Amino acid sequence: MNSRPLSSRTLAVAALFVLVAVAGCGIAAQSPTPVTTPTAPPVATGTPGASGSPAASGTPSATATATAVPTPVPTLAGQVIFGNWPYYIDVDEDTGANPTLDQFTAQTGIDVTYLEVIGDNSQFFGTIQPDLAAGHPTGYDLIAPSDWMVARLIRLGYLQPLDKSQLPNWQANAQPALRDPWYDPGNVYSIPWQAGIVGIGYNEKLTGRPITSFDDLLDPAFAGRSGLFSEMIDTMSLTLLSLGVKPEDATPQDVQLAHDKLLAAAETGQFRDFYDNSYYDALAVGDLAITMAWSGDISQMQLYDNPDVKFIIPDTGGLLFVDNMVMPNGAAHPTDAYRFMDYWYTLEAAVPLTEYIGYFSPVVGVQEQVRLDAAAERAAGHPRYADKLDQVAADSFPTAEQLANVFDYKNLTEDEERIWNDLFNDVLNG
Amino acid sequence: MPLRRRLRWLTPYLFLIPGGLWLIVFFVAPMIVMASVSLQEGSLATGYRLTWNFAVYGQVINEYLPQFWRSGIYALSVTLLALLFGYPMAYTIAFRGGRAKNILLLLVILPFFTAFIIRTLSWKLILADNGFVLGTLKSFGLLDQGFHVLASPIAVISGLTYNFLPFMVLPVYVALEKIDPHLVEAANDLYASRLQAFLRVTLPLSMPGIFAGSLLVFIPAVGDFINADILGSRDTTMIGNVIQRLFLNTNAYPEASALGFVVMTVVLVLVAIYARVVGARELTVG
Repeated sequence: MNSRPLSSRTLAVAALFVLVAVAGCGIAAQSPTPVTTPTAPPVATGTPGASGSPAASGTPSATATATAVPTPVPTLAGQVIFGNWPYYIDVDEDTGANPTLDQFTAQTGIDVTYLEVIGDNSQFFGTIQPDLAAGHPTGYDLIAPSDWMVARLIRLGYLQPLDKSQLPNWQANAQPALRDPWYDPGNVYSIPWQAGIVGIGYNEKLTGRPITSFDDLLDPAFAGRSGLFSEMIDTMSLTLLSLGVKPEDATPQDVQLAHDKLLAAAETGQFRDFYDNSYYDALAVGDLAITMAWSGDISQMQLYDNPDVKFIIPDTGGLLFVDNMVMPNGAAHPTDAYRFMDYWYTLEAAVPLTEYIGYFSPVVGVQEQVRLDAAAERAAGHPRYADKLDQVAADSFPTAEQLANVFDYKNLTEDEERIWNDLFNDVLNG
Repeated sequence: MPLRRRLRWLTPYLFLIPGGLWLIVFFVAPMIVMASVSLQEGSLATGYRLTWNFAVYGQVINEYLPQFWRSGIYALSVTLLALLFGYPMAYTIAFRGGRAKNILLLLVILPFFTAFIIRTLSWKLILADNGFVLGTLKSFGLLDQGFHVLASPIAVISGLTYNFLPFMVLPVYVALEKIDPHLVEAANDLYASRLQAFLRVTLPLSMPGIFAGSLLVFIPAVGDFINADILGSRDTTMIGNVIQRLFLNTNAYPEASALGFVVMTVVLVLVAIYARVVGARELTVG
């Protein structure tokens, strides 16, 4: 190798080239400025009880109000692509199939590509945001973001308003308590998939005592065996509640105090890690004694993986979360997606789903039907399965007592989000 | 005739086109985009604008210095461990492998038949606090109930070493394989002990392999975030984890890009120094 040193002129030319390219890139990057505020006002669309024929006709629906941007309704494409969270669908333990999805395909001829891709709202947002900002399709027809993320997606104009005339079952069967939510007034862009509570899950064999409060997560007796969520808004909001502050009233000083509280504990090695959905396995195998948890996960864990785990709402309060079905911009199969969304608001889909996954169902009548199924199983001589179903029925919608002690998230502005994130990252990065 | 001569002159450049295009599309272009992003300011709602904000570089270096140091120390430990375990392996395969040589080499690369993440996750199950290994030892009272391997620097460094070991073994093996055994015999004939023969003949001749292997291990280990994420905890956060979180969780694209550049520059400088000290001489001789 006898490479000559680069002449200074070559270097200068190269530097100039890079500079120009970088500048050009900046211009290119800002040209597809993310969509400004969506034009659809939160006007309730569709008349209640609109004739229920699930418009397969393929004609664009005219029931949407004139100002809302009606999603054109093309003909069925025969497929739908749904990006959801793990452990959020029924599974046939023998075949590995998803009975409710197969039933949908049998009824409609629509193939479902069901992808378990969301482990954490923020991370998933990070993967689709560049496409949405550039106006490219994400590859999904439907995704299942949580409430506060729906609010962010709406704010950025990344979602398509829903044509309610395409969702007759939703209109007829949606739980009143989950209609017209804080994150999407009038359900303009979203309808619930499932809901649950962010609280605390623990393994009583490992903790050796019942758990009641958030501060038990910080108990030195559980040092190195306590877990928190890596999802900033969950962990910060639950910590704020432990300080006696409702998330929606939180001031920057409150958030700073929450940060101080978490950091002090983290620096003593209190937390094993900050988890996304992977906390499930860590708690099930006993690496964690106590952790922040989603209510439905713990119901599932009790039934299928570890009977010693329990779920509680901390005495200072838990968080009510609602995961939703929304249609991102560029969805390729909207008509199929409407059929799919509406399918979940029938009892034949919602009941088996709830009986398997154990979250709060947004569908009226599910709880009653699960109770009936339990009675039928008992009559058929399956008392253990009947007991499980009774447990599921009890868990399938929050009691008035539970609802009294759960709170909503704060609808953060982007500046607030940045402040909260910076403080939380300071806790996260050891 | 002139056409032919011209073609002959062009040939090497024609051969460069596929590789060159590849580098331009998949290396140079992303680098330029990243450089541009790192100098932008803005928000998701308003979009990002190029403001030549060089201050971001100082800011990220300051803020994430502990994670930089940690990544460097981990990667260095991993490289040394991989050399410690990998060299004897490569030596045995090259000189004592006999007919089993190819099978042994296959065994070295066999883990690559399974995805990186799956292999790392399976360590998480094997080393679970009450799993097969630790649970058994604990039930015999050999370990304290609270003892754990996961969520510690040891777990992360071991995971990285395990994952990158083949990258050390293979180049060292190739270098050792090329050594003429007669050279060692000649050294012995000249009254060199076996240790002296190894230190003065075999080891120097295998230096190009050690050089290549240590680069192949050190560079990916510095930037890795999977092992720290799966096997580690808050206190093992590496620079790769910081970048990943800034990109995906916080959507702080400029800071993440700037950090990426800083890591790359530091690694390039380190590699250049290393090449000067160890590599260049060996490579040019080879």
